[in-house]
Amino acid sequence: MTIPQYFRMAMRESRRARGRIALFAGCIAVGVAAIVVVAGLSASVQEGVRSEGRKLMAADMIIEGKRPVPAEVDTVLVDFVAGDSRFTGQTVQRAEVKEFVSVVLSDDEKTSQLAQVKVVQGGYPFYGQLQLDPAGSLDLLLTADTTVVAPELMERMGLKIGDALRIGGSRFRVAGVVVAEPDKLAVTFALGPRVFLSPEGLNRTALLDRGARVDHKVLLKLPSGATSLDLTQLERAIEAKLPDAEYFRIRSFSEAQPALRRTFDRMGRYLGLVGLLSLLVGGVGVAQVARAWLASRMDDIAILRCIGATSREVVLLFLLQVVAMALAASLIGAALGTALHALVPTLFGDLLPPELIRPWQPAAIVRGVALGLAVALVFTLPLLVGLRRVPPVRVLRRDAEPVNAGLFGQLVAAILVLSGVWIAASLQAESWRFGTYFLGGIVASVLLLALAAMALSRLARLLPRDAGGVRLRHGLTHLARPGAATIGAIIALGLGVTFVFATHIVERHFGEQLKAELPTDAPSTFLIDVQPDQWDELATLLRSEGATGIESQPLVTARLAAIDGVPVDELTERRRSQPTADANQSGDRPRPNRGTLTREQRITYGPALPRGNRIITGQFPAGPEVPNGVSVEENFAGELGVQVGSTIGLDVQGVPVELKVTSLRTVDWRTFGINFFLFAEPGPLNDAPQQRVAVARIATPDLPRVQAKVVAAMPNVTVIHIRDVMDKVNTVLGNLSIATRALGLFTIAAGVIVLGGTIAATQAKRAKEVALLKTIGMTRRDVATVFAIEYALTGMVSAIVGVTAGATLGWAVISKLMELPWSLRIGELAIAGGTTVALAVVAGLAASARALTVRPVEVLRAE
Amino acid sequence: MTMPTPASIETVGLTRRFQSGPKTITVLDQVSLTIPRGEFAAIMGPSGSGKSTLLALLAGLDRPSDGSVSIDGEAIEAMNEDRLALLRRRKIGFVFQSFHLLGNFTAVENVMLPLELLGLPSPRQRASELLARVGLGDRGHHYPTQLSGGEQQRVALARAFAPDPPVLLADEPTGNLDGVNGQIVIDLMLNLRRDHGTTLVLVTHDPTLAALADRTIRLRDGRLVDHDATATPTGASR
Repeated sequence: MTIPQYFRMAMRESRRARGRIALFAGCIAVGVAAIVVVAGLSASVQEGVRSEGRKLMAADMIIEGKRPVPAEVDTVLVDFVAGDSRFTGQTVQRAEVKEFVSVVLSDDEKTSQLAQVKVVQGGYPFYGQLQLDPAGSLDLLLTADTTVVAPELMERMGLKIGDALRIGGSRFRVAGVVVAEPDKLAVTFALGPRVFLSPEGLNRTALLDRGARVDHKVLLKLPSGATSLDLTQLERAIEAKLPDAEYFRIRSFSEAQPALRRTFDRMGRYLGLVGLLSLLVGGVGVAQVARAWLASRMDDIAILRCIGATSREVVLLFLLQVVAMALAASLIGAALGTALHALVPTLFGDLLPPELIRPWQPAAIVRGVALGLAVALVFTLPLLVGLRRVPPVRVLRRDAEPVNAGLFGQLVAAILVLSGVWIAASLQAESWRFGTYFLGGIVASVLLLALAAMALSRLARLLPRDAGGVRLRHGLTHLARPGAATIGAIIALGLGVTFVFATHIVERHFGEQLKAELPTDAPSTFLIDVQPDQWDELATLLRSEGATGIESQPLVTARLAAIDGVPVDELTERRRSQPTADANQSGDRPRPNRGTLTREQRITYGPALPRGNRIITGQFPAGPEVPNGVSVEENFAGELGVQVGSTIGLDVQGVPVELKVTSLRTVDWRTFGINFFLFAEPGPLNDAPQQRVAVARIATPDLPRVQAKVVAAMPNVTVIHIRDVMDKVNTVLGNLSIATRALGLFTIAAGVIVLGGTIAATQAKRAKEVALLKTIGMTRRDVATVFAIEYALTGMVSAIVGVTAGATLGWAVISKLMELPWSLRIGELAIAGGTTVALAVVAGLAASARALTVRPVEVLRAE
Repeated sequence: MTMPTPASIETVGLTRRFQSGPKTITVLDQVSLTIPRGEFAAIMGPSGSGKSTLLALLAGLDRPSDGSVSIDGEAIEAMNEDRLALLRRRKIGFVFQSFHLLGNFTAVENVMLPLELLGLPSPRQRASELLARVGLGDRGHHYPTQLSGGEQQRVALARAFAPDPPVLLADEPTGNLDGVNGQIVIDLMLNLRRDHGTTLVLVTHDPTLAALADRTIRLRDGRLVDHDATATPTGASR
């Protein structure tokens, strides 16, 4: 046959099959929509950040570090302009930004609030707009004794414009409110509301010379006419000329908001797998629909074979229809996903700035459609290939059933499905390793769900059938002999329930853990930026305010200079040139990157390790014969590549110090004590420049008062409530959990469609059953009840199996992986089970609506 | 339309056995027969005598346990499934007791089907002509469920004759029809056969219909009991 002939024939073949096509489309479209919305959002954030990068950075380029950017950079900027005739008469504009965390005190010293202080100098922002109230420029509002603050700060401290507050020991008048800041996003993690100070204002405080930890940034704006090539050249020039360049990060606007992009990238990969799960659940449905459809076509296929169609032609004819349906379904799903994407700002409010939402994402659509097609094909190909074996003699003898695929065929089909899922999952997660995990998880879940479903069906066979009367008996007989299709539907719905319930359990435990009262012996407060000479006074003050559990450690900041005598420069070079292949591609493994080696290390020292530290090899202290000993936390030691006996060379603010690793230890981070990766023995660091950090236990009602007193006495000390930090973390996790749940609903939706489809596929049989029941004298309501009970029982099996599997999975994650206390609530079990049963009944009745309306006489006539 | 070459059918020692649990049932036992080109042969016999099995074996729909079948000198038991399909496409037309029209196809599309499989030009037009010949020129756009039994069988006849097959196999084509409609179908079938010079093998219970045949093949318990030829060796029987 020719191609157009195939098409015409396929078109004829698919006539009068709207129900089947709708089901097929539903199964695929739901999953494709989930995939498209996830991939689309992820891509749109990347794209949005790229195109809005200048605005999101407020500059073309940023140099940032924990120390002031050296003046040498100015020479580079001047040379850059001077060397190019295009830029005659222009300069590279620069603005300086300092950011740090500090506690703001009300004028009466009664309330206090942790805040993020930002001091800008120069033309900030170069791009985007800083919206202020009263409107105007920051320079006009900010003087040496005024401040501009975020509305949250006004609200929390009960301030109004014109009121005074204290920052770093000095008094400032609130001159205005900052409504929007271009380079700050709602989703980014911030420890407190924004406070703007002028450089002169900052100088009036005692903060900088008292060791507050400041992020220094230099924002650059290139002269007009500069290209992205110029940007790269300037970046290279700065990297080359800047002293200690490794301590600074230089980012051009195309790399704006790296944290946001990373977050969305990771979320995209994780949620991408969730999307794939709903597509696979739909795949089960596609296989069911296709099986029922092909079974109803067996006679026609035999006729086609009789007339002389070859088996290849028959397979192609039906393959063409599958492809056409899958393509249509995938396109519908892609449209749905795109529409949902456009609705994200409406549904999730200010999670993302609207300019980052770009629903039209061709790559995401292509990915969704390709996966939709692939899943449809993978799940139907084994059936289609089975069509080769439909014997034409079936036309004469109905008992000549199609030979089943045979052991070899089934094996090939299984390999096809498994490798298809594996490849799709690896693509979605962008990692073969996660693809493998995902496949393993799916296979294990499906096997368990199938076993459980069959076991329950066995159990139903043992139950007495007469007890519940005819209605219950009917349901039980269906459950006792469920057939492959019903088992498949139970698995499909069960998979959705498993996933959603497991996520729910894990999220609930996390949430509870974060909201729970801290262990009574844990500190409630961190005090940082304490100068060594302030410690005695601070400790006395804390004690007099009723604080207990006061502990303190010195904190020395230093850079790694060498490990085992190899300079860090060389190590970073080595690690850059031989990254582990997989980790480098997927970034899913903590790797010892440049950052670990070059970032600022925080080191403490003391005669004994604090509680929660456990030595696993070596000794601490090591004894007088091994001077300059240091204990290294086990995982960090792994990252650095050191073991007992290694040496760690440090650059302590210009002074070289060499420490010898004398022990490795584990740390119980959950004690919230003061813990360090590097814990040195007393001696080599005693005279180094240092601060102290402290923890204390302060009763919740006393916290605001104590914080206010501490800051009034020592304005440079920053007091951080652990509770506040955990609430922040909770909010961030909350956002992720909303997204996971929203996508989890797709898997449930797919499962419900599969169940409905399975029931709809038995429409003809059910119609006969309805006719018979009605002939016997049942009313329509009676028949509907009988069916509802059957679907409820089926849903119950899905619920039992899914909820049990979900709870088991959740238990494994919480108890085994996270080692958190485990609990299960009757309420959540009931809600999950009840919802599943209700969904099954609604979907089942909807799918059998047509059969229910059949009049008995029609069916008998058709016999 | 070119006249097709009439084909001969020959079987030698044709045997078909089925396994039913531990027992082996021989449905067809050592049947050897020859049907010359252009002849009309009727297969008769009580239920379960192996009539339909014989027909299925002649068409290559089923495979013999023993013995051989050749159509036009070609031994078909050695052919694979696809070669058999191609052979049927070119050489064998079918009419069934229960019509077997494709439910999703209209009448004219059912008739077009074999023409399209053969890749013949303007299949719709030829199909419409054939439908007109069986008296259904105005029913082409109807689906099988919209047609009566007799009409469905006439569509099936049109489909069977559409590619001008040298051999037509019919399995109790009037079994599901009342007398009047059965007669219409028989008349049509025999007229078409005469016009096309087709070799016709017909399974029937009806002795009057069998009486019209050139020869009657009688089966009992899978064995050939009688294999007689009537006076007229070729052509029309009335």
